[in-house]
Amino acid sequence: MIRLRRVTKIYKGNVYALEDATVDIERGEFAFLVGPSGSGKTTFIKLLIKEEEPTSGQIYIADTNINQMRKWKVPYLRRKIGCVFQDFKLLPHKTVFQNVAYAMEVTGKSRRITDQQVPEVLKLVGLGHKLDAFPDELSGGEQQRVAIARAFINRPPILLADEPTGNVDPSLGEGIVRLLEKINSSGTTVIMSTHDRSIVNTFRKRVIAMENGRIIRDQDRGVYGYE
Amino acid sequence: MCTAMNKIRYFAAETWSSLRKNLILAIAAIAVVAVSLGILALVVMGWNMFSNMIKNAERKVGEVDIYLSDLTMESERQAINDYLVTIPEVDPLKVTYKDKATALEEFKERFKDQPELWEYINENPLPNSFQLITKDPKDVGMVVEEIRTEAPYPERVEDIKSASSAIAKLENIFDKFRQIGIIGVIALAIIAMMLVSVTIQVAIFARRREIGIMKLVGATNWFIRWPFIMEGISEGLVGSIMAILVALAVKVWILDKLIDNLQFLRLSLSSGLLVVLVPCMLIGGIVIGALGSAYALGRFLEV
Repeated sequence: MIRLRRVTKIYKGNVYALEDATVDIERGEFAFLVGPSGSGKTTFIKLLIKEEEPTSGQIYIADTNINQMRKWKVPYLRRKIGCVFQDFKLLPHKTVFQNVAYAMEVTGKSRRITDQQVPEVLKLVGLGHKLDAFPDELSGGEQQRVAIARAFINRPPILLADEPTGNVDPSLGEGIVRLLEKINSSGTTVIMSTHDRSIVNTFRKRVIAMENGRIIRDQDRGVYGYE
Repeated sequence: MCTAMNKIRYFAAETWSSLRKNLILAIAAIAVVAVSLGILALVVMGWNMFSNMIKNAERKVGEVDIYLSDLTMESERQAINDYLVTIPEVDPLKVTYKDKATALEEFKERFKDQPELWEYINENPLPNSFQLITKDPKDVGMVVEEIRTEAPYPERVEDIKSASSAIAKLENIFDKFRQIGIIGVIALAIIAMMLVSVTIQVAIFARRREIGIMKLVGATNWFIRWPFIMEGISEGLVGSIMAILVALAVKVWILDKLIDNLQFLRLSLSSGLLVVLVPCMLIGGIVIGALGSAYALGRFLEV
C-alpha cells in the first residue's frame, strides 16, 4: 500500500529530517511510528500527503509514484488518506456535525448523503449525542474523536495519525487508539506516530522506530524500545 | 446536477459570510469600482453628446460653403473650381460642386417633417454652390479671407459661409477632456482592482486555517479559490450597479434637461448608447473584481 524507497528529506540548513528511509506498509496494516521529537515522524507523514517533497528517493502509494504526481491530482490523493493531528485542526466556529460534514462538502457530496453519513460516523466514534456542540465545548479526547470521524468520513484506504494522543488526557489516549484499531479492522491501513511508550507497549503492533531521521528498527508486534 | 446545486449553495454562503466579515474594506472597494465606472459613464455620455452636437451642426468642422450668383457662366465656374483646388490649406479632394436642384432636394429632405417650409415654393431660391473642407479646421478663417480677396470673378461669389471656428476649439477641449477622462478611468480601475485584491487578501488571511484544513481533506484548488473569486466579482458587480444607477440618474435629471433647455445647441444622446453602455459597465465591474481577486489568489494562496 505504501512503499518508501531510499527517501531522504533535507530541510534548509542541511537538516536531515529523513535519511535513506526504505519501508513497506501493506494494505490493512496498523503501524506505530515511534521515536523522540525531531526524529522525523512528522516529516514521514507530510511526505505521504505531499505536503512536503522528498529531496531524493521514491514514494509509492497504491502503486502510484507520488513524486511524479501532477499538482492538480494532489487533492484526489488526499481524499484517499485521512489525517489526524495532535492539535485536532477543527474549525472553532463550526459545530461537530459541520466539521465532519466539511470533509464531504469539499468533495462535492450532496447534502442528503452528508446528512445521513455524518451522524453514522459520529456515532461510530462515540459522539452521536454531540452533533451540535462546538469544539471548545468538548474535551481534548472528544475533539480528537471528531477529527478521526472527519478523517474517516470519506472511507479512505489509509489513515495517518500524527501524535493523536499528544493533547489528550493520558487516561483517554488508549480509547483513541482503540478507535483507530476499530477503523483498522474495517480494512483501513493505519499509521500512527507517537512517543507514548505505554500505548505502544499495550497494543503490540508493528513498530517502526526512528531516530535522527533514520529508521533504526522495524519490528512486528513490537514494543517501544529495548529496556 | 444535485452536486452542482450543492456547490453553488456552498459558494454563495461562503462568499456572503466572508463579505460580511470585512465589510468596511469591501465597501471601500465597491465605492472605488463605482466611482471609476461612474466616471467612465459620464465621459462616454458627455463625449457622445458633444460629437452628436458637432454632427448635427449645419456645417461640419472645417467646412466652407461658397455661394455663386445665378449669372455665373460655366467657364467662370470652372475657373473658380480650378482656383479652389490650388489653395494649399484646402483638401483638393474635398472640393465639391452642388447645383440649385440638388440643393433644393437636400433642403426638402432635411425639413421633410416641416413641409410648410418648402411646399409653396415655386421657383428654386437656393443658389449653386461649392463646398470645401480645409485640411485643418482652424484655417477656416484664413481660407475664407483668401477666397474673398483672391478668387477669380469675385462678382460671381455672392456669399461665403463657414463652420464656426469656436466648434473647432471646443472639439480640441473636448478631446483633452476625453483623454484625461480615459486616463482617470484607467487609473481608478487599477486602484479599484488593488482594493478588491486587498479585501481578498484579508479574506484569505482570515481563513488561512480553514484553507489549510480544506487542503488537508482533499479540496481541489478551484474549490478553494471559487469563494474568493466570487467575493471579488460580487464587489465589482455591486460597484458597477451603483455606477449604473448614478449614470441613469445623471442622464434623466441632468442631461435630458440640458438637451431640452439648450435646443439651439442641438445636443442629443444616441438612442442605443445606454443599451451598450450598461452591459459594458456590468462587464467592467466583473472584470475588475475577477482580476483583483485573481491577483490576490496568485500571490497569497498557495494551493
